[in-house]
Amino acid sequence: MNNMKRSIRRIFWLLVLCFLLLLGYIGKLVLMERVGISTNAYNTRLRYVDNTIRRGDIIDMDGEVLATSVLQGDGTYERKYLRSRMAAHITGYSSVGKTGVEAAQNFEMMTLHNEFFQRVMAIATGKELVGNSVVVTVDMDIQTIAGNLLGNAKGAVVVMEPSTGRILALQAYPDFDPNTVSANWDELKDAEDSPLVNRATQGLYPPGSTFKLVTSLAVMENIRDWQTKTYECTGEAAFENKVIHCYNNKAHGTVDLKQALTVSCNSYFAQMTTEIGSSKLREVMKRVGMETPSGFDLAYSQNRIGLEASATQSELVETAIGQGETAVTPMYMAMLASAIANEGIMMQPYIVDHIQYSNGKAGNYTVPKKLTEICSTQEAATLRDMMVSVVEKGTGSAASINGVTVAGKTGTAENATGNDHSWFVGFAPAENPKIAVAVVIENSDAYGSATPIAGKVIQEALKQLENKA
Amino acid sequence: MLDLLIMLSRYLFIFYIGFFLWQGIVYIAYEQGGFLGSPYHAVSIQRRLIILMHITAFLILSYNRDTGIYDWKAVLFGAVGCIFLLAAIHFLDRFYYEGCPLIWTGTLFLMDTSLIILQRLEPILAYKQLMWMVIGLVGMLLLPTFFRLIPRFEIFEWAFIIICFGLLLCTKIFGVERHGSTNWLSIGGLTFQPSELVKFLFVFYLASVFRKRVEWKEFIITGVLSAGIVLLLVLQKDLGSALIFFMAYMVMLYIATANELLFLLGMIMASGAATLAYKIFSHVRVRVAAWQNPWADIDSGGYQIVNSLFAITTWGLLGSGLTKGMPKSIPVVESDFIFAAICEEFGTLFGAGVICIFIMLLYRGVRIALDCKRRYYSILAVGVITMLCFQAFIIIGGVIKLIPLTGVTLPFVSYGGTSVLVSLMMMGLLQWVCVYCEQHDADEKTSPDMEMEGGEDYE
Repeated sequence: MNNMKRSIRRIFWLLVLCFLLLLGYIGKLVLMERVGISTNAYNTRLRYVDNTIRRGDIIDMDGEVLATSVLQGDGTYERKYLRSRMAAHITGYSSVGKTGVEAAQNFEMMTLHNEFFQRVMAIATGKELVGNSVVVTVDMDIQTIAGNLLGNAKGAVVVMEPSTGRILALQAYPDFDPNTVSANWDELKDAEDSPLVNRATQGLYPPGSTFKLVTSLAVMENIRDWQTKTYECTGEAAFENKVIHCYNNKAHGTVDLKQALTVSCNSYFAQMTTEIGSSKLREVMKRVGMETPSGFDLAYSQNRIGLEASATQSELVETAIGQGETAVTPMYMAMLASAIANEGIMMQPYIVDHIQYSNGKAGNYTVPKKLTEICSTQEAATLRDMMVSVVEKGTGSAASINGVTVAGKTGTAENATGNDHSWFVGFAPAENPKIAVAVVIENSDAYGSATPIAGKVIQEALKQLENKA
Repeated sequence: MLDLLIMLSRYLFIFYIGFFLWQGIVYIAYEQGGFLGSPYHAVSIQRRLIILMHITAFLILSYNRDTGIYDWKAVLFGAVGCIFLLAAIHFLDRFYYEGCPLIWTGTLFLMDTSLIILQRLEPILAYKQLMWMVIGLVGMLLLPTFFRLIPRFEIFEWAFIIICFGLLLCTKIFGVERHGSTNWLSIGGLTFQPSELVKFLFVFYLASVFRKRVEWKEFIITGVLSAGIVLLLVLQKDLGSALIFFMAYMVMLYIATANELLFLLGMIMASGAATLAYKIFSHVRVRVAAWQNPWADIDSGGYQIVNSLFAITTWGLLGSGLTKGMPKSIPVVESDFIFAAICEEFGTLFGAGVICIFIMLLYRGVRIALDCKRRYYSILAVGVITMLCFQAFIIIGGVIKLIPLTGVTLPFVSYGGTSVLVSLMMMGLLQWVCVYCEQHDADEKTSPDMEMEGGEDYE
């Protein structure tokens, strides 16, 4: 009988332990994993809308209101986008579904701070219920400069702060007017040039020669005597089933890595990657975060690595110079430039800086987060020097600015349309990087190269930052 | 105004369950020799809290937001529910005077939560649930009379197990499939789950066999028969019930033999069997995959569990407030996933409180078994309470993704007629053991010379 009592007690404690496990796990879910789980795009609760609440505003870093809700005569709220197209791809729209910050922060803008107080005041004085406002990292002055420089050229401009991952500007063209999305819906959704797509984060482009930054890293890591090794460029190089031409078939003569990057010599990089091999190159591509989800607040496309370990030699040499099946977003290229500027550490990009509550107080600041480490400090410094050389005496000279050292890399991406895309990625000032940019212009024959646009964006953005400092 | 009320009610519900549990502690403390307050007061406060919670919830639920008036149907149902709760409190007090009051209040609290959340999700289900609760309650009240008429029901051990197998085989042959398990039987339009009824009989059977000294013969016979039942359930894709029966067998065997080695051996064999089942049955693999990484397959396999996690985490500790959440985005939310709906609208703190109520029930059930001097009743009580609590553990664990999901009901809370009926009968049985032992132990004390009935009741 006593044995039995002991057994019963043990079973009791075993089950109590099970229940305590449940309690512990629920605690972990709600206290530690809450944000990660509940912000998933599949969560229908985030699309919750309550028409009795005035939706919070979207505000830029200087306090400029980008989107606000206005009470109509019939008691409903109308959403107004004060900067219309200029910030369209940031704010997104909130009418026929939601995109942009409107979608990402819907729940926050529908949340009442001090709910109890607000509701009591609403009953007592008839004051409206106001949701939390979202303050974005974007500086509308820089955003406007970028938008004006982009003009009517299809493409995108991304400006980022390398040390934190803050997005300072995010422009994409074609754009749309968020105020009239609902009225023009049929037209917009079927439009051939897809104005609703945010090319800066969702557009996938072949990286062209800007990819040579990654190839350079692979060369530094896999070819032991890369510092002394030279290559004789004749303007073209033949591989299995594939002849690689340098731009305009120009013969660059004797080049080493630095010279090859400066003049963007295709033959050199094609030759080097055949020595590196596809699996090693693929390894580097993965390590520089091409397949790492960036976790960015707005909808974004995942880059595509078009290189298998078993790739043929022609696939390999095409990939080496940024052609082939590999495709990247302008956002990613800005992250790559930032990582090189930031001693090899890639920061997670973010666009929501903090939340501003209806009583004027601020909170919930985003803390910059390291995404991954793409290379050593030493390698990053070497890449930076080579990128400075690109702008000082190579293909990127159109991006140079008086009094500021700019580091960058140009690119021309051949693609299915027959019209080349033009790229520029870079950062400045090279010795103490404040901003990183990625610019892509579709159909550059008609709209001009990305490089001078990038140069002007950098110049104006640095000026703005200096004025505000 | 209503929004303000709902907002405040979030705190109120947490207060109800928190204070309810505190009163349980007050009662237990008194029993253990401490004093935090009067135990009689504690129980009556608990009863009032249940009624208050019922009224608060139905005030919110019966208000129609669109028309701005009270929905008379919901008001009426709320009133009927209130009368049911009051009647239950009254009759249970009379019929089981010596029973444990905490078990009754705990059970009623869970049943009231069930009525509220079902009214919120699908009023028609709440009506049906209440009907089954009434039937269960009546059955429970008749239980003592029934046992008085048939005093030595343990001699029917073979009948119990034969009916068990009969019911399960019937389901296997004539069963209807629902939610991926073929564990439903339909007679004249009335569907029920035989595996629930089998639970009741199975505990009786094991207790009847184990009341005597357990030798190899008993061990092997019960082992083979139990394994047969578990296998039948696995074949019906009713993995949750299979797990519950296995655990009930292991627990009761362990208590009857006090042999840890046997318990460990059983667990090892179960791990082997589980691995085998994983390899043989695709539906087992699907469940495990959905548990390991539901995010990889949100659109199909992981949909349910992911939505459950959204429901639990989105609104935080206090929940969205009654009627403010979106629990209907979870498939089968009214039965298997009811815990997620409770966490969503009442808050995770309330959900934790529900778990604590199960701990309280477990403690009281085990107390009864420990206080009971008869081996047979002691085993019976442990079997009943561990089965119920283990069932609560595996479904809550499944819903929060602690363990792979096995579709069973949360006792007293999930929608399901058979489940409510059988769970109530099991509680009645537990209380009857309590009453019986208290009366007979008292008799023995007054007349120590009385001949003991059936020496086999003692080891």
